[in-house]
Amino acid sequence: MSEQQGDFASDYSISIYALSEKALTVVFGQVISETLWHLVSSFNRLLTQNPFSGLTTTVPAYSTLTVFFDPLVVASADLPGKTCYEKVSAYLKTISHNEPGQTGLGGNHIVIPVCYGGDFGPDILTVAQNNGLSETEVITLHSGASYRVYMIGFVPGFAYMGGMPQTLATPRKQVPAAAIPAGSVGIAGLQTGIYPIEIPGGWQIIGRTPLQLFDATRQQPALLKGGDSITFKDITIEEFNAYRV
Amino acid sequence: MIKPGLLTTVQDRGRYQYLAQAIPVSGAMDQLAHRLANKAVGNDDDRATLEFTYANASFKTHTAVLLAYSGDGAFLMYRGEIMPAEKPLLFPEGAILTFTHNPLGARTYLAVAGGWQVPEIMGSKSTYLPVKFGGLEGRKLVAGDVLCNGDAISAVSAAIIHELSSRGLIYPNWRISREILLPLNRKSIRVVLANEFNWFDASSIIAFLTKTYQISLKSDRMGCHLSGKPMVRKAKKELLSTAVTPGVIQVTGNGDLVILMADCQTTGGYPRIAHVADVDLPLCAQLKPGDDISFSEISRDEAEELYLQQEHDLLLISKAINIKYTSTI
Repeated sequence: MSEQQGDFASDYSISIYALSEKALTVVFGQVISETLWHLVSSFNRLLTQNPFSGLTTTVPAYSTLTVFFDPLVVASADLPGKTCYEKVSAYLKTISHNEPGQTGLGGNHIVIPVCYGGDFGPDILTVAQNNGLSETEVITLHSGASYRVYMIGFVPGFAYMGGMPQTLATPRKQVPAAAIPAGSVGIAGLQTGIYPIEIPGGWQIIGRTPLQLFDATRQQPALLKGGDSITFKDITIEEFNAYRV
Repeated sequence: MIKPGLLTTVQDRGRYQYLAQAIPVSGAMDQLAHRLANKAVGNDDDRATLEFTYANASFKTHTAVLLAYSGDGAFLMYRGEIMPAEKPLLFPEGAILTFTHNPLGARTYLAVAGGWQVPEIMGSKSTYLPVKFGGLEGRKLVAGDVLCNGDAISAVSAAIIHELSSRGLIYPNWRISREILLPLNRKSIRVVLANEFNWFDASSIIAFLTKTYQISLKSDRMGCHLSGKPMVRKAKKELLSTAVTPGVIQVTGNGDLVILMADCQTTGGYPRIAHVADVDLPLCAQLKPGDDISFSEISRDEAEELYLQQEHDLLLISKAINIKYTSTI
């Protein structure tokens, strides 16, 4: 191994646990941070570029990467270890970082138009009052920041985003709303996110986007993916309606 | 379809390639029964079957057709007789088939030679009802629905049909033994302790591994909800949302246990006390509200060994059927 290269396992304190007979989770840390997210996503990229025999798919999250595999294939793979758990763990520990030219995050920049407040954002006042702001200030702050999609989870296409100004942080509702319409933009603690489909939910809803976040028939059903950078653009109700025709 | 039953959907092995976009695995809840029904008609395991929940369903064949069923939710009746499970069954055109109550379990799988034909979405034919995609128009079956089998049936299916029709039989004398693939005690679920099991106090962990838990009415394709002694946390730690998978046993905020099932979310933030050994997940798919279950601990390596052994046995079953009908492996 050259001096420039190290492996994740010895350079960062990663740990591995079995999620099932078909999946292992690699843990990089316990907090939400750009640094950890960067580690998870570069590890994910390196693994998918250099898969072991039997790798099925991977699921990145805030500070973990879960690796799914076919035990039948792994069992007969030429990897050190007796069990599939040992074999896959051994392979994951050899994944090295610091590949030249691989520093980019690889995400797209996506602008999401949002019609804030009114019927589309019934909780904007709650967010404003919680932070001693006016509704306009909430809109300016929310649409003025740049966000990173950390993970997709919860329901198909739901993007968990970090990067929201601390001054907008608002706790979840005590009692979740029975139905939150598709496209609703919400706040929960320090996170912002968009509901891709109509479901019950506890996030504070401040607006709605006319974009379709999830469509099962699209090539990539989820509009957003981990690593994308996001900005929100304040639009009027007329502009919102124009998107829909 | 004359009577659709409580909840009948098209399912297969599931959707694994889109987990990172938070698309659930879905697929048959009881993968073993799904696979055995497929094998019995000479299909590959990934062909779509119909998942029936309990009984009270009936349908009529529009053509002569080779079917097989497996599972514990219902018995298939034809002309007043119970048809044997895990066997190929050749029915003539116009046969009226009915699923009647089987007290043992909840779900039954009906396979057809060639598999049920519905469009593939994201690499699978499985129905995901909460977002209404996959299967037949993203919904459960209703009276009046007509389903067709795939055009291309396997050489094994063709040979089975030939054997039965030339001898005027409904079914042959062989069947797949599902019983030997399942443990004797189907209400004792083997589990492997999970990453956060030590977040709970000792008495909770002991209770989990010794006490009886009851399946609650809230249970569905997303999860098996259990009622019983609530788990008590030692420390007020929070888990950052991370991937989960069917079989994982989450502990909710009020200490209740939920076994995640086929339609479960792809990520979760509840601590996990254990996961069900993959070979015992079909047992969970057959649980009904009110059933009592208990958990017994096995090691990670044992669970893996059981999995590999069962896959080996399933491979042998396919090989045996292939050799019988086509003299090839």
